[in-house]
Amino acid sequence: MGALSTAPFRQEFPFLEWKRGLTVQRWKHLAAAVLLAVLTVFASFRCNVDVASFFTGIGKGAALLQMFFPPEWSGVGGMMQPLAVTAVMALIATILGMCLSLPCALAASSNLAPPLLRLTMRSFIALERGLPEIVQMLLLIAIFGLGAIPGLVALSFSSIGMLAKLLADGIEEIEPQMLEAVEGTGATRSQVIRYAVIPQILPSLLANGLFRFEVNVRAGVILGAVGAGGIGYVMSSSMNAMEYPRACMATLLTLALVFASERISDFFRARIFSAGALR
Amino acid sequence: MTTLEVPPGALPSRKLRLMISFLLGMAAVLCLLFAFLGMGPASFFVDFRFIADLAEQMLPPNMGLLWSKSIFFSLIDTLSMAFLGTIVGGALALFLAFFAAINTAPHRLVRLFTRTLLVANRSVPHLIVILVLLVAVGIGPFAGVLTLIFGSVGMYGKFFADAIEQSDKGTLESVESVGSTRLQTIRFAVLPQVMPSFAANLFYAFDYNLRAAIPLGVFGGGGIGFQLAFANGLLHYKDVLAYTIAIVVMINGMERISDWVRRSIITQPMVTK
Amino acid sequence: MLQVTNVRVVLPNGKRLVNDVSFSVGRGEFVSILGSSGAGKSLTLRCIVGLTRPSEGKITLTGPEGKTYSTTSVGQKEMRRARRHIGLIFQGSNLVKRLTVLENVMLGRLGHIHPLRSWMLGFKDSEARAAMVALDRVNMAQCAARLAGSLSGGEMQRVSIARAIYQRPLIYLADEPISSLDPKNAEAIMSILQPLSRETPVIGAFHQPVVVARYCTRVIGIREGRVVYDGPAQLSARQLESIYGDSSAESLAPPYDLEAQPFLFEPDLQPPMRQGIHQGVAV
Repeated sequence: MGALSTAPFRQEFPFLEWKRGLTVQRWKHLAAAVLLAVLTVFASFRCNVDVASFFTGIGKGAALLQMFFPPEWSGVGGMMQPLAVTAVMALIATILGMCLSLPCALAASSNLAPPLLRLTMRSFIALERGLPEIVQMLLLIAIFGLGAIPGLVALSFSSIGMLAKLLADGIEEIEPQMLEAVEGTGATRSQVIRYAVIPQILPSLLANGLFRFEVNVRAGVILGAVGAGGIGYVMSSSMNAMEYPRACMATLLTLALVFASERISDFFRARIFSAGALR
Repeated sequence: MTTLEVPPGALPSRKLRLMISFLLGMAAVLCLLFAFLGMGPASFFVDFRFIADLAEQMLPPNMGLLWSKSIFFSLIDTLSMAFLGTIVGGALALFLAFFAAINTAPHRLVRLFTRTLLVANRSVPHLIVILVLLVAVGIGPFAGVLTLIFGSVGMYGKFFADAIEQSDKGTLESVESVGSTRLQTIRFAVLPQVMPSFAANLFYAFDYNLRAAIPLGVFGGGGIGFQLAFANGLLHYKDVLAYTIAIVVMINGMERISDWVRRSIITQPMVTK
Repeated sequence: MLQVTNVRVVLPNGKRLVNDVSFSVGRGEFVSILGSSGAGKSLTLRCIVGLTRPSEGKITLTGPEGKTYSTTSVGQKEMRRARRHIGLIFQGSNLVKRLTVLENVMLGRLGHIHPLRSWMLGFKDSEARAAMVALDRVNMAQCAARLAGSLSGGEMQRVSIARAIYQRPLIYLADEPISSLDPKNAEAIMSILQPLSRETPVIGAFHQPVVVARYCTRVIGIREGRVVYDGPAQLSARQLESIYGDSSAESLAPPYDLEAQPFLFEPDLQPPMRQGIHQGVAV
């Protein structure tokens, strides 16, 4: 009993079943394609997709873009400060997000927190993630007024949400045996967190934080246009004032900033993964 | 081992000193950054009156609005924007990705050119695109759709190109060896391997585009973002809260749904590399 | 001295995974628990250290001055106090991979450090020096500054033993310490554990009767949760068969369905591993 199966290795290839399976698969693909097509047509209706206006739009857009060039190079000096404001806003939000997401994530993991706390924390995190920064911004402007503060708070909130979720998922993936071994020496829960959980998730916290920095830079540009100041505001105000070369300059600077943030983020993330761990 | 000494790099006291100086450094940097923005601790202690005021104006939210037709259609508009942006943008991205991957690009220069194009496209912020498009095609969801398409191409073109480059060489060669054209090779060797990650990325793209559609709406792109900004401008805070609730519910709900659909559609490939 | 009395682990459906297990372990013993997979070896060990709460039974540890510690029917604080005196050595990964080897060893005496001191000041230099002595005993002193994740399996196991040594417990508990090691490393581990057992008793679950016969002083055979053998380590073929039985029949049993409990410190039942050939499909 329990011996390896001694059936002959070569068997009849079940051709008919295979053919049937293939046909079923083809029908499924067809159904999916039809569904997609229907949804696309419906969505096009809702969005007033107008191919004619698209083509005229190309013309208009090209004419507009022509007015962008040459960019207003002389304005670079004056735009440095708003650029720095956006970058600093993103940086602060990222740092605060990383620091504050750690306790939230610890409270939101199934292997560390009691079920009630976990549920509450997870809902809170879902709220922070589900609320787009711009909506937060509009509400915060009503409290704090215009300026970098509401932008900072909005970006921090969203950062905490995204980082806490990723971190909590990472904590739940730690091998339980690792935690049990530390627990078995008589350590308290907080000691297990300090010596087993935090060292394990620190690299991913940093990597996620660096990614979030990129995201925060882009979001900071948009929030700037709504009232947080910075280069986003310069961009939108110059567009509204129809000072197109200035808008072009602001765009170029923004591009440079976004590009720089991506390079920095990639560089440090590569360092983290090659070193294995920090400390 | 004659003398048993703790390696100096591992001495706890040294590590403690490093940790403390690091934390102090971070705190100092943060203070500097705050000072640069001109914000002191005082700026955050805003008069509680403002918050109470706002709360009073916002609550109770205009729940009747949630069941109205207009909000329903606005949500549909935003969803449609994200959907179209993902589908068309994804299709374009896939198309371009084939020119940006080493193993399927016709020429090395073509690959270089396409890759640079994708990187440039990815860095362009949505803000400028929507502002330009608003002038070109007018206010409304169409501008939003085009912005999302434009944004998705760069972002996902890179992913897809990487996925294509990572597809199994052996399969490619075996299909080529029976004498198929480049197009046939792509269809039968590359596409089946790329499809699962392509489809998964599409779902992530939809999630991302849905969130991005809202600020685009605020600027004039239509959808629920537009409604919310409009109500905010009129200081109808009860409506604003209702729209906010709708947005949160929509985003969370769509995330769950797309998660579920993604998991039921994408089956593991039979042969793993 | 460890005293295990009438320990029982009963599933909600009534099945007894550990059925009235009793034994005691005294000074100088190197006890090995033998049994087929799912017989209850690991579960018994987990009950001793409190990672699984037995449904019934009493487990006590007595120190040299007569102080007793218990891991059954005690609160969290008492449990932690008892765990300080049990040195755990698991199979597979039980080191924190992103800490250095030295820090992993110093984790052994965390039970003796106040949590506030852990957070504020970390470890002391004197503790590091004592940990180096423990590392030297397992011949791993030269790897003290390396990350634990960069070690091989055998090296990791040795560091785990160093951690247990540093803990200065009343008894060592090893759950299949050599199962995932190649023979050479396994011999190295056993040759470390054996002299250790002469000062402090070692009790371990093993899969390898031959190795056990060479190094251990006593064998406790467990079959289907019951102690079926308790005597010298040199087992005859018949005695082995009485312990392992016709294992293929057992291994065809469906896996146990145990409820997971989310609380880290609420001990949960760990499903035993399944091994064996099932109707031609290797698992």
